Amino acid sequence: MEKKNKSNEQSKLRAFLTGDKFKAVLPLIGFVIIIVVMHIMTNGKILTPKKLRLLFSQIYYPTIVATGVFFIMTLGSIDFTEGSTLGVASIVISVLSFHSIPLAIIGGILTGAAIGALNGFFHVKFRLPSFIVTICTMYLFRGVCAYFTTESAVPASNAIKALDQDWLKITITLAVLTVAFFLFKFTRIGNDVKAVGSGETAARFSGVRTARVKFLTFVCAGALTGLAAFVNVIKVGSITSTAGNQLETQILISLVLGGLPITGGAKVRFTNIIVGTLMYAVLNSGLSILGYEPQVQQLIKGVVFLIFVALTIDRKALKVIK
Amino acid sequence: MDKKTLLVAEHIDKRFGITHAVNDVSLTIAAGEIRGLIGENGSGKSTFCQMLCGIYTIGGGTFTLDGKQLHIRNQVEANNEGISIIVQEMGTLSGLTVAENIYLGHEEPFMRMGVKDTRAMNREAQKLLDSYGFGQIKAGAMIDQYNFEDRKLVEIVKATYMKPKILVIDETTTALSQNGRLELYKIMDAVREDGRSVIFISHDLSEVLAHTDTVSVLRDGEYIDTIESPQVTEDDLKRLMVGREIGSAYYRTDYDDPVTGDTVLSVQSVTVPGELDNISFDLHKGEILGFGGLSESGMHEIGKAIFGASWDREGTVVLADGTKINDIPTAISHSIAYTSKNRDNESIILNESIRNNIVLPSLEDLANHGLLNGRKLTSFADEQAKNMQTKMQNVHQFVSDLSGGNKQKVVLARWLGKGSDILVLDSPTRGIDVKVKQAIYALMADLRKQGKAIIMISEEIQELLGMADRILIMKDGKVNGEFLRNPDLSEEDLIAKMV
Repeated sequence: MEKKNKSNEQSKLRAFLTGDKFKAVLPLIGFVIIIVVMHIMTNGKILTPKKLRLLFSQIYYPTIVATGVFFIMTLGSIDFTEGSTLGVASIVISVLSFHSIPLAIIGGILTGAAIGALNGFFHVKFRLPSFIVTICTMYLFRGVCAYFTTESAVPASNAIKALDQDWLKITITLAVLTVAFFLFKFTRIGNDVKAVGSGETAARFSGVRTARVKFLTFVCAGALTGLAAFVNVIKVGSITSTAGNQLETQILISLVLGGLPITGGAKVRFTNIIVGTLMYAVLNSGLSILGYEPQVQQLIKGVVFLIFVALTIDRKALKVIK
Repeated sequence: MDKKTLLVAEHIDKRFGITHAVNDVSLTIAAGEIRGLIGENGSGKSTFCQMLCGIYTIGGGTFTLDGKQLHIRNQVEANNEGISIIVQEMGTLSGLTVAENIYLGHEEPFMRMGVKDTRAMNREAQKLLDSYGFGQIKAGAMIDQYNFEDRKLVEIVKATYMKPKILVIDETTTALSQNGRLELYKIMDAVREDGRSVIFISHDLSEVLAHTDTVSVLRDGEYIDTIESPQVTEDDLKRLMVGREIGSAYYRTDYDDPVTGDTVLSVQSVTVPGELDNISFDLHKGEILGFGGLSESGMHEIGKAIFGASWDREGTVVLADGTKINDIPTAISHSIAYTSKNRDNESIILNESIRNNIVLPSLEDLANHGLLNGRKLTSFADEQAKNMQTKMQNVHQFVSDLSGGNKQKVVLARWLGKGSDILVLDSPTRGIDVKVKQAIYALMADLRKQGKAIIMISEEIQELLGMADRILIMKDGKVNGEFLRNPDLSEEDLIAKMV
């Protein structure tokens, strides 16, 4: 009898460790661990006001991009074009910034939306898996980006560089998060996106216009990357061929660190975006303060990423990413 | 009993999280016995057998086969001990040939210095298939070329050719036509003749009584009783399964209540290539219109065609007010509901909560200026789920945790919540136990009285005879016969039009 009780407790513990509740708080635990570890290893240097300000300055445009990708990944799809989209949109914004700032912003957003539309069109109309489509378009637009920046970097106007102020970037980021949270939580849009991620066929038979939902999600995510490009341009001032390089991996890692299941669907939480981008930023700046080579930094990030995916993935819902 | 004992199960136990799926079940099976195993959905019969066959790990207790205690870790080990299973779902692997499927995990006899001798394997497999009388299936062909039923036949060969001591048949007959069933019964008899044993799981109680020696009943994971099949009736079994008296009113009993309502929906010259060929009919207010036929007759496509879900449809589906139905959102907003035969894939989102499944088609009605209120959604879903007496912890539970019957209740709850007037129900009681079946029949009779129109597509002839006001029998994509409700109508009348 005693033995039975013991094995019962063990199985309860195991049920808890593999259960949804634990998985839901795991990102927060990870966040705390990463902060504590970085705090100790850097002798508290990471939590100085100066470093924190630097840390936050790194997360504005990734947060905006991650918000769009969050919706795509909720669909159960994936997008590898963020970096190249950001690059192309940044070029458009820089060129237009000599004419008019509002025009530059609109141009950037439209460029992003157009690339998103292209991704969505091939993904939905030709029923290609999104990771195939977006890997192809990533190459395409990296090429476009390189073409315009080989001779020399594309400069932006002084007027747009003058906008590099924290309050503006914070306002834009918070506005994007607020609107996205509202749409996700309180409108049909959020419900439809989640339904497609949890079970596309059943969602279609429940009246969700699945093709339209998927297409529009890609368009909106592209547009958000275009907006993020504006925040990027005011910060960096001139666009080189490496603009947005590896942004897609950064966003993917951030969201997964934040606890977003890569299968999408019902178990995604909006907080995944915020926790994830913060965690990535802390990890990133911690590793820089510690003086690791960029190559070693990349290696460490890869290991942390693998561990997190292994711990958080929902194996029941596991299938090929759409 | 003077027969030799073959299998002894002692204190078998299994938990899935908080669910106690199998609770201390002990039973013995004699050599040369066909043992029926029955119980409602979620009674633990499949779980019990899957532990025996190495699909699930044993939670507690022991199995002893032929005096030897079993320590099975996977299905191949179970096969080697002389236990094999034919499962309810698709059990063959796509992308392999028929022969490769049959010998999966047992390829050693065909290995020549580490290289597979495909020709020898195909030759042996074809001999096996021929000896079973399944010569129409070619051993060297890819399994994907064959339909669901032929693939089931391949599974039967796979599970029985090595002459297992215990053959477990888990609700296989639902996938088989009359012919396939007869083949399976023959094989079961042959196993018994040979002094080996069969565990036969089925929801079809008349089939269980006709083809087993003894029947064991499980209820809520617990062992209830084992009885000699010839000494009991279906009603006895139902009582044991449910634990109380099932009322006599199972199907509708009225035969003098003709349909007089107006036409609510017209299907005009609908063709879906490869499925439906120029189908036309009308559906009336207060009518239950039954569709019957063989599985491949195209009848399942009718539901999809009406719901606007067919990929490639010609012809018109039009409502009384002239609205044409060409896509699913239009169908839903014009009060048409559809429940699919393929429940887990098309009717519900498994990896979602009960709440979100129920509210999904009704979001537009529940929104206030486009805004959704979580509390309102929860109370709406809660009310609908409770109306259907869904067994659940709360509406936030995931649908994947529910039994087949409860999943179907969630599906019906969402459409009743939507208030749909035209219900297209494809195989509404497929894989569902008696208690829930009874509830669904009662619900259908009730909806009919309220003046709703129901299309019931069913592979169960008794269900069509018992519930429908009018029955259309399909064959090769065409309507091949029409019958009005009549107590004298027999199964044979309908079957004659199906084949």
